Amino acid sequence: MNIVTTRFGEIDIDESKIIDMRGGILGFEHLKKYVLHIRDDNNPFWWLQSLDDGAIVFVVINPYSVKADYEPMLSDNDVKLLEIEEAEDVVLLAILTICQNPFSVSMNLRAPLVINAKKKIAKQIVLEDVKYPVQYYLTATGK
Amino acid sequence: MLILTRKLGESITVGDDIKITFLEAKGKQIKLGIDAPPHIAVHREEVYHLIREQNMQAVKVASMEKETLPDFWDGLKNLLSKEGG
Repeated sequence: MNIVTTRFGEIDIDESKIIDMRGGILGFEHLKKYVLHIRDDNNPFWWLQSLDDGAIVFVVINPYSVKADYEPMLSDNDVKLLEIEEAEDVVLLAILTICQNPFSVSMNLRAPLVINAKKKIAKQIVLEDVKYPVQYYLTATGK
Repeated sequence: MLILTRKLGESITVGDDIKITFLEAKGKQIKLGIDAPPHIAVHREEVYHLIREQNMQAVKVASMEKETLPDFWDGLKNLLSKEGG
């Protein structure tokens, strides 16, 4: 299946890899289908491309690559919604915000994306724990 | 806006499957318990707006100039190798 995106032009999507963003991404609740688009195996950043709106794409990262002691708590409702049965089926991703001028990069640790990798169901959860900031800076600028 | 008066321990139902219970009052703070099905997102309003705003900033990457991408990735990779050790 082919879709047209703002960022990448027309891309070919493997339908078995489509993620059902059942719980939605805040502000983008109407967009339900996404794919993780990996442009370059050598970089740790992935693109989360919306299939419903080709203009919407997020850059995401494995938060543990930056913060190894990250321990988000999932609520029972989230576990139910995402149909999580085994802990190892859970994949966590943090959304990056990139500003060009001045250059700064932050990741959102307060509201990570939780994906049930086995069933391809996902949601942006909001943690109660205020120790995780919405903007955890990877760059010195912006701090 | 519908305004209802409730005593401690009493609840309000919204639709068939949402229940809000008034648990505790302390000065200007009140504690509410919310029972809702998993697909209903419940957030503190200010947190909801904060995250929503951050997501709106995050998608601006879609329109960043393509020419700057290689530098951009390298910059980020360098950052990570510093952070991750």
